[in-house]
Amino acid sequence: MNTVLSRANSLFAFSLSVMAALTFGCFITTAFKDRSVPVDIHVSKVMIKNVDDFTGPRERSDLGFVTFDLFANLQPIFDWNVKELFLYLTAEYSTKSNTLNQVVLWDKIVLRGDNTKLNLKDVKSKYFFFDDGNGLRANKNITLTLSWNVVPNAGILPLVMGSGHKSLAFPETYETAKSY
Amino acid sequence: MLSMFKSIPTHMDYKGQKLAEQIFQGIILVSAAIGFIYGLIVQQFGWTVYIMLAGFTVSCLLTLPPWPMYRKSPLNWQPALPETPAETREKPQENQKKKKHK
Repeated sequence: MNTVLSRANSLFAFSLSVMAALTFGCFITTAFKDRSVPVDIHVSKVMIKNVDDFTGPRERSDLGFVTFDLFANLQPIFDWNVKELFLYLTAEYSTKSNTLNQVVLWDKIVLRGDNTKLNLKDVKSKYFFFDDGNGLRANKNITLTLSWNVVPNAGILPLVMGSGHKSLAFPETYETAKSY
Repeated sequence: MLSMFKSIPTHMDYKGQKLAEQIFQGIILVSAAIGFIYGLIVQQFGWTVYIMLAGFTVSCLLTLPPWPMYRKSPLNWQPALPETPAETREKPQENQKKKKHK
């Protein structure tokens, strides 16, 4: 029995299998690619306050304010398997109560076709830089790192850390002025 | 009008069926290879998908309708034997008679 429907069924099933093989080929040609690019982070202003914290268990916490510049060329990351990058800037530091604290300060979604040359100046933190206590004051080793989550067409979603960090120090006195 | 549509042949012979299958598999594989190479060159997986869809469309047009090129090798049936009337022979009755001699 060979009808139009049976031929359509064979044709569609065969095309679907070939499409799956092509998708796997797209994944396998980019699976071992290094997706790290150099990042240049420059911090222009650092300030610290001690404010009421309604998000945590304590009544008052340290709140950091960081103004930074960010330069990165993300074009080498975009191959035919990458359709989106989720960039996020994290601050890492250690305190007496926690050896590793990570706070996301800023993020951005870069789609395929967007401007991939990141050239940002005087950017303020998008999110609050809250410590869960008083670990920011006089902390001399805060590390800013830009990382990204690569969203592919097919395959693994890697988390990549950009090469290039920035260490900064918070002052020892709290800022009491209202303006920032 | 309806009888004209019914007289359109829609069958494929066995070599035609094999030819149709070979045609669509060939077109799909060729368009897959072209799409993969072109997508790898321009670093856009979308182009691979578009070229595959084009190959799929061409395969549908070429093999789904029963074109006349799939009816070129009909089977050679044996010629039909003529219908001859079967004559029933009357067996002679003389051979059945068994005379018993005393």
